Amino acid sequence: MTVAKDQVFDAVSSALVDALGVDEDEVVGSATLLGDLEAESIDLLDILFRLERSLGVKIAASDLAEHVQGGISEEEFGTPEGVVSDVGLAQLARVMPQIDVEKLRGSLPAEDVMGLFTVDNLVSLVEARVGAAAAA
Amino acid sequence: MAIRVGVDVVHISRMRRLLDQQPGLRTELFTSGERRTCGERRNGVGRLAARFAAKEAVLKAFGTGIGPRMRWIDVEIVTGALGRPSVQLYGEVAAVSARRGTQEIDVSLSHTGDVAVANAVVVTSPPDRPGEEEPSCCSS
Repeated sequence: MTVAKDQVFDAVSSALVDALGVDEDEVVGSATLLGDLEAESIDLLDILFRLERSLGVKIAASDLAEHVQGGISEEEFGTPEGVVSDVGLAQLARVMPQIDVEKLRGSLPAEDVMGLFTVDNLVSLVEARVGAAAAA
Repeated sequence: MAIRVGVDVVHISRMRRLLDQQPGLRTELFTSGERRTCGERRNGVGRLAARFAAKEAVLKAFGTGIGPRMRWIDVEIVTGALGRPSVQLYGEVAAVSARRGTQEIDVSLSHTGDVAVANAVVVTSPPDRPGEEEPSCCSS
């Protein structure tokens, strides 16, 4: 099964509108899930369940952080002071191309990373999962 | 020593709807002990919602949220004989806790009407790093 990016975006948008009670025009690619759309952890459970129903892919809440951290260990991803390391920033640039790495270098608290996760980032993750499921 | 706090609020009706919609969610979110403790009580879903809020509050206090390889059942809210809740950690959450040098975790839970709330306090003492010495003090 091939699902076009537009279809994935529509499914994500629909899940966000239904789970968060936000207006459709608030769900733009650059909107952050936790900040702009004010999603909480229980919302993520709801959103991911709706995506499973509409697209047939199972994504766990912890998969979002796994995707963002890219398999890099916590020690390598952040400094002992809790700031994202250069290795971590290089990973973030891959999965969150919208961020300004140079602006964030040496100053991004690791616990703020998921706050940068946008609708577009979720669409990319879901798209990859749908593609992997189709290839399997 | 550092003290971190976390807090979370959950709508009980939302938790009820999600549990009804997703048959597997109950075991994904709650340990057998939590399900047993809450399932046999009046307003069991309210109690489960408070425990979910407590798990999230603990993860917020660690500053991670639900991080890579973490499972919700890695944070268990254990109810003591007198009703006082305590926290038991497993798996990746226990590993993160150890790396943070956690000495103590305390949680408090409540629910009323459609709202369940919990807060967590985590006391940490970061492990000594090679080459670092405690600052000298108190010399006479």
